[in-house]
Parts: sequence; C-alpha cells; structure tokens
Amino acid sequence: MEPQLSWYLALSAVLFTIGVTGVIIKRNVIAMFMCIELMLNAVNLTFVAFASFFQDVVGQLFVFIVMTVAAAEAAVGLGIIIAIFRNRESLDVDDASILKL
Amino acid sequence: MLVLLFILFGGLAIGCALAVVAQRNPLYSAISLVGVFISLACLYVMLAAPFIAAVQVIVYAGAIMVLVVFVIMLLNVEEEERGRRRLKFLVPMAVAMAAILIAEVAFILVTVQEFRVNPPAGVGLTHSIGTSLFTRYLLPFEITSILLLMAIVGAMTLARRGGLLSTSARVIPGVTTLPRSLVDPRATPDDLRPVEADSTDEAARLLGVTGLRDHSDRDE
Repeated sequence: MEPQLSWYLALSAVLFTIGVTGVIIKRNVIAMFMCIELMLNAVNLTFVAFASFFQDVVGQLFVFIVMTVAAAEAAVGLGIIIAIFRNRESLDVDDASILKL
Repeated sequence: MLVLLFILFGGLAIGCALAVVAQRNPLYSAISLVGVFISLACLYVMLAAPFIAAVQVIVYAGAIMVLVVFVIMLLNVEEEERGRRRLKFLVPMAVAMAAILIAEVAFILVTVQEFRVNPPAGVGLTHSIGTSLFTRYLLPFEITSILLLMAIVGAMTLARRGGLLSTSARVIPGVTTLPRSLVDPRATPDDLRPVEADSTDEAARLLGVTGLRDHSDRDE
C-alpha cells in the first residue's frame, strides 16, 4: 500500500489549520509571520501532491512562484516589523492597531 | 515502506507545526518552523519532486528563516507574557477551527478518490520544470522577477533609518528656506548656520523670533 492522494491533502489541511490557529492566537507579530509561512507551505504541499498524482508540471511551477512571493513577503514584512519596532518599542500586534507610525 | 515514511515525516511536520504555535519564545518557534520545512522537503522527495524539495531547503529553510532569525535577534524579542488574554472569544474560535479541521479532513478522506495513474515520468525533474518555466510560462516568471525587484526596493525604503532624508540634514518643516539673517535682525550676516528643529514653533523659539508661522502660511 502506498500513500494516497487524500493522505497528503489531509496532512495539508491539518498544517493549514494549525497555521490559521497560530495567526489567531499569537500576539507577537514575528510569530504571526511564521504562522503565515506555515500556511503557505501547507498550500505548497497540496500543489505538489496534485502535480505528482496528475503527472502535471504546472503544480510545481505554482510552488516555485509561491516560494518567490513568500521570499518577497518575508523581505517587506520584516522591514515593516523593524519600522514598527523602532516607533513602538514593542512587537505586540495590539500596540500597532492603528496604521500610523 | 512509503507508508512508514509518510507517517514519520507527516507526524514530524505536524509536531513541529504544533511547536511553532505552542512555543512562547519566537526563536524556538523559528527552529520548529525549520523542522516543518525539512520534513515537507522529505515529503516532496516522496512525491517525486526533487527540484521543489531542494528549493524548499535552500530558499525556505536557508534564506527566509535566516532572515527571520536575524530579525528576532536584532530586535531582542522578549517572550510573550502569559495570561494577558484580552480577546475573550479566542477559545471558542479555536474550538470552531478544530471543528472545521475535522470536517475538512473527513471530507477529504471520504470524497477524494484513490487513483495512481502511471509511475513518475520525470515530471518533477529540473529539466521539465525549466523547460516549461522558460517557454510556456515565461510571463509569470518575468512578473515574479519584477515582484522581487519591487520587494527589494520596498524593503530598503522601509528599513532605512530616518526616512528619505539623511539624519544630518537640517530641516524646518513648513518653511522652504529660512536663512538666519532673514528672520533674525540681530544675527550677523555671515552667521548662516541652520537650526535643527522638529516643528515650526520649535524653530521659531530657537531662532528667537515671533510670527514665524504667519510668515510661512503666507508663503504657502
């Protein structure tokens, strides 16, 4: 017996939900950022599983592009985090609830 | 054998993901997240996608996580304080999320049909990915490169200290140019040293003049 497609999809759903839960309950903005990365990876697993089971390369191209977007998000997001920390001296998201530095 | 590997790496991914959420120190969360990335890379290898697995390790576990760890150490993040819950509805929401998760997994396991077409035929190899990336899907590739360029410029603009002007610039907000000899009759003509102030009122106080705001308003 080999791992089935539904197993990978279920694993991806579990990882995605853990990421969503982390975004909801975390207060540290860097921890929320890492939970978003976790959600992106869960979706990547879905793409690769479908690409493998359908024998289609497009899914893996999507994963490639998602990784690039995640890298861009990391650069800009961490820049924003540093800017917020300079102004607020805090990383709590509740301290940065107004969109004004 | 593959089932055992799936259980091993899938369990490792879920355990590390739970650790990401459960840890209070962001640095421990980051290390757990690296564990998630590595086990997902192993699952990609099992899914016959070696290129994506390598890129996962190099880009995610290498570049992005190093950036995150740099920022964590740069900002000297303190651990989250326990028991400072301000949002009361978070616990019911977590229960609702768990219910959604269980429904999701049950739906997948019931409805997704099992099929395995043919053995892997070189779909995940670097050759096939590169061929389609540079022929049929060239436009998304170029758009991605422009996105990366925008991210570089945006990150530099955001992270540089003191905005667009250098910290040594002497600026009086609200006034375009303000030589000292013009506003202060007591100053000697060669004393053109500019003053540093954060507001027009502060500049007026430093210069010892009154009516500076009226002056600037009329100029505008």
